[in-house]
Amino acid sequence: MASETSQATLHSSVSDVAAGGAAHASHGPTGLLRWLVTTNHKEIGSLYLIFSLVMLFIGGSMALVIRAELFQPGMQYVQPEFFNQMTTMHGLIMVFGAIMPAFVGLANWMIPMQIGAPDMALPRLNNFSFWLLPVAFGILLSTLFMEGGGPNFGWTFYAPLSTTFAPPSTSFFIMSIHLAGISSILGAINIIATILNLRTPGMRLMDMSLFVWTWLITAFLLIAVMPVLAGVVTMMLMDINFGTSFFDAAGGGDPVLFQHLFWFFGHPEVYIMILPAFGIVSLIVPTFARKRLFGYASMVYATASIALLSFVVWAHHMFTVGLPLTAELFFMYSTMLIAVPTGVKVFNWIATLFRGSITFEVPMLFALGFIVMFTIGGLSGVMLAIVPADFQYHDTYFVVAHFHYVLVPGALFAIMAAVYFWLPKWTGHYASETLGKWHFWLSVIGVNLTFFPMHFSGLAGMPRRIPDYALQFADFNMISSIGGFLFGFSQLIFVWVVIKAVRGGRKAPAKAWEGAEGLEWTVPSPAPLHTFDTPPAYDPQTDSPSRH
Amino acid sequence: MLKVIRSVLAAFFGVQSEANRQQDFQSTSPWKFIVVGVFMTLVFVFLVGFVAWLAAN
Amino acid sequence: MGRILYAYLYAASICLIVLSTTAQASSINTSSGFNMPPGVTEISREVYSLHMTILWICVAIAVVVFGVMFYSLIVYRKSKGAKPAHFHENTTVEIIWTAVPLVILVLMAVPATATLKKMYDTSDAELDVLVTGYQWRWRYEYLEEDVSFFSNLATPREQIYEAEEKGDFYLVEVDEPMVVPTGVKVRLLLTANDVIHSWWVPDLAVKKDAIPGFINETWFKVDEPGIYRGQCAELCGRDHAFMPIEVKAVSPDEYQLWLASRREAAEAEVAGADREWSLDELMERGAGTYNTYCAACHQPQGQGLPPMFPALAGVGMSVDPDGLRAHKEIVLYGKTGTAMPAFGSTLSAAELAAVITYERNAWGNDTGDLIQPSAIRAMLESQ
Repeated sequence: MASETSQATLHSSVSDVAAGGAAHASHGPTGLLRWLVTTNHKEIGSLYLIFSLVMLFIGGSMALVIRAELFQPGMQYVQPEFFNQMTTMHGLIMVFGAIMPAFVGLANWMIPMQIGAPDMALPRLNNFSFWLLPVAFGILLSTLFMEGGGPNFGWTFYAPLSTTFAPPSTSFFIMSIHLAGISSILGAINIIATILNLRTPGMRLMDMSLFVWTWLITAFLLIAVMPVLAGVVTMMLMDINFGTSFFDAAGGGDPVLFQHLFWFFGHPEVYIMILPAFGIVSLIVPTFARKRLFGYASMVYATASIALLSFVVWAHHMFTVGLPLTAELFFMYSTMLIAVPTGVKVFNWIATLFRGSITFEVPMLFALGFIVMFTIGGLSGVMLAIVPADFQYHDTYFVVAHFHYVLVPGALFAIMAAVYFWLPKWTGHYASETLGKWHFWLSVIGVNLTFFPMHFSGLAGMPRRIPDYALQFADFNMISSIGGFLFGFSQLIFVWVVIKAVRGGRKAPAKAWEGAEGLEWTVPSPAPLHTFDTPPAYDPQTDSPSRH
Repeated sequence: MLKVIRSVLAAFFGVQSEANRQQDFQSTSPWKFIVVGVFMTLVFVFLVGFVAWLAAN
Repeated sequence: MGRILYAYLYAASICLIVLSTTAQASSINTSSGFNMPPGVTEISREVYSLHMTILWICVAIAVVVFGVMFYSLIVYRKSKGAKPAHFHENTTVEIIWTAVPLVILVLMAVPATATLKKMYDTSDAELDVLVTGYQWRWRYEYLEEDVSFFSNLATPREQIYEAEEKGDFYLVEVDEPMVVPTGVKVRLLLTANDVIHSWWVPDLAVKKDAIPGFINETWFKVDEPGIYRGQCAELCGRDHAFMPIEVKAVSPDEYQLWLASRREAAEAEVAGADREWSLDELMERGAGTYNTYCAACHQPQGQGLPPMFPALAGVGMSVDPDGLRAHKEIVLYGKTGTAMPAFGSTLSAAELAAVITYERNAWGNDTGDLIQPSAIRAMLESQ
């Protein structure tokens, strides 16, 4: 930790800040209007997090509709067209509405506090990028009530199913993707501007926490690929409404072009959803192992490497579209290579645990759950890279199992870990350990019960995105459905834990965890509305995570 | 220059020692790392493509 | 942290119990119920062994990684008095644990490349079949044999909607299977008429997308006679789950008999247009054709699914006395920019006449219009 003197200077500046913060908070609009016009990074961070929690439950209810219908063979509760809307909306809402905004929310809260900045670099833009999201998802959800229903072509919206053969509401879907995309781009610009310009004097790039590092790289990925998504949905809009034929073979267009463009966005998008999770786990594991992160430099280098490689692997989502042999081999090799830096990260976390002094508070449980289950998802990813075998895995439940392992006990568990980790800083109270442990264990059982059997049903031959299936797959689907409901309802515990911590609980000191490091733990808990009005003192020799 | 290439290669591999890292970050501007990084990515893509082409024929 | 371990052991044992029960359930392919089917071709067996190799490599990696992890979690607990060490990097170790996976990956890539090259080699095929994906059925055209037909889901609606007991091959049975001779290299040329579909038969280890405007190639050679089942693997709209594939491999002699019977049936179908049909005949034939080709969108009672799929009962051209010509044209030539395909080139004159007659007289439409197959044939020939 910081030396005695720098600690003292930090504290005096913090108390100034706290006093100033109280003064700031006393004027300006109150009530709902305050949240509408807020430019404070902490308030906007909370808005993002609350928004993504709401979306998690909306998207989750859709998953439960899917699992209810798949509980048994035969059509029981919904019609195939509605089932298709559920799979599509579930994917879109979870990816663009739950996971991504949750990471942006965490970035808003924590990046300024970790780099010693008073706020985000562009506070008004920050407000705008958040309020685009409720509009975008309001539009998206409203399509469900339109004539012909909402989008029903899968979250990957392959043309021409999503153009010539799509329901009339598709133009609204395109509008909402545009708005969500603009929100992401603006958010990314803000994060980059903040990290590059507002670090406290003395903090070099290589002194930043890995959460800040992974977000910096993620933000560049977002700026690189969101415009591609915007382009591809605009081409769809033209095909649907203005008579162009980008993706319509009958007019000389190319349906495969759509997939190339989509996955050129889509594969980096996968890393957008996992790199900040890597950053979170890289903070939590050292904290509760009471030992410095192993190979900080390698972790940063591997993150950069993953980000660059993520641009040259996109066609591994398209092995069955009939690419030329050389292209298939190229994408197989590049995909296998990207497994290497990803593996390095897992090894580094384990080396951090090795010979540490480990305790198992709830954030640590979620981080450990992340490491184990993300690795399972990573290994099935390696299997999917092997083209001849991928011909059998592609578009089956094996793929569904793979990406849910990466995204649910992967990205989502990391977000949960982060919330448990920083709740004491946000609210001033520790989350309930007992309820947190219930939440963790029920989630672990639920998630594995849901997704592990999907490996088996997929290998045995069950295609994805079907509302009804052959009798052979009945048993595994029943288990998956039971697990799905268990996992879904367990998340209510999480809501209760958060509400409880906001309202009260065991008081947390400034440094809420014994092994915690970083500037955010030098400000009081709960953090005052305005922190670091003057930059805190920072000495890389003693404060940097990469110090010697 | 060789030093920069070595650092970029280390990044591709995902492993870098603290001492070399310290040296890299003595440099005041990141631009030469970025330029070499992008260039090496192209070389890498070309290399994998060449191997794939060899294997296919 | 033994509890995490117990949780996993517990989950694994549940899975094993389930596996042993599932393995006894009726199997639609050579899968044991929880693993990839080894299949019935040389290629499929190669793919299976490739799959098993990488699976075991991944399991081995997982055992080592999780082994070290759980060892650390159990031994270096603070509650056991563990004091943290101070090391935080070791370049040699890092290089080793990066290089080892790299070598493993290269070793995996070598056999994968060899198998993939075989799968891509469509040369020297003895039989070419053009497979076209439609919403929601497959069409097979034996290019040198002048034989073509649709292959539709055979499972009755009553089974899907729980009115009847489900059969053994629920959702993986068709009215007309694709028949191929054993011991012959069959080349598939895949395309689609509307959206992207994907032709997948796990036992043949063949999955290839059928894309409108493209022709994809793939091949298989079956040695053992039998029936091999699969499904469309690319989301293609409402009835994506209801367009199965059935490949029936028979001896070359039997195959020739089958070809002859297909040709005979096709000739009889064409000849059917020569005679006059009664309203009852047309209605009966039309009901069958309607339920197979039209009911998925326009619904069994003609109520449609507006606005995508318009209703036929009581509204529009099918009850309009002046709408007969437009009605015939839309069925024969389709409607561009919508999901309505052109049936004129794929259904027989008798089927077309029957289905139009049915649509104009069923569900209380009662226009009394009676369309003769000969009239449809004349219309098609005038094109």
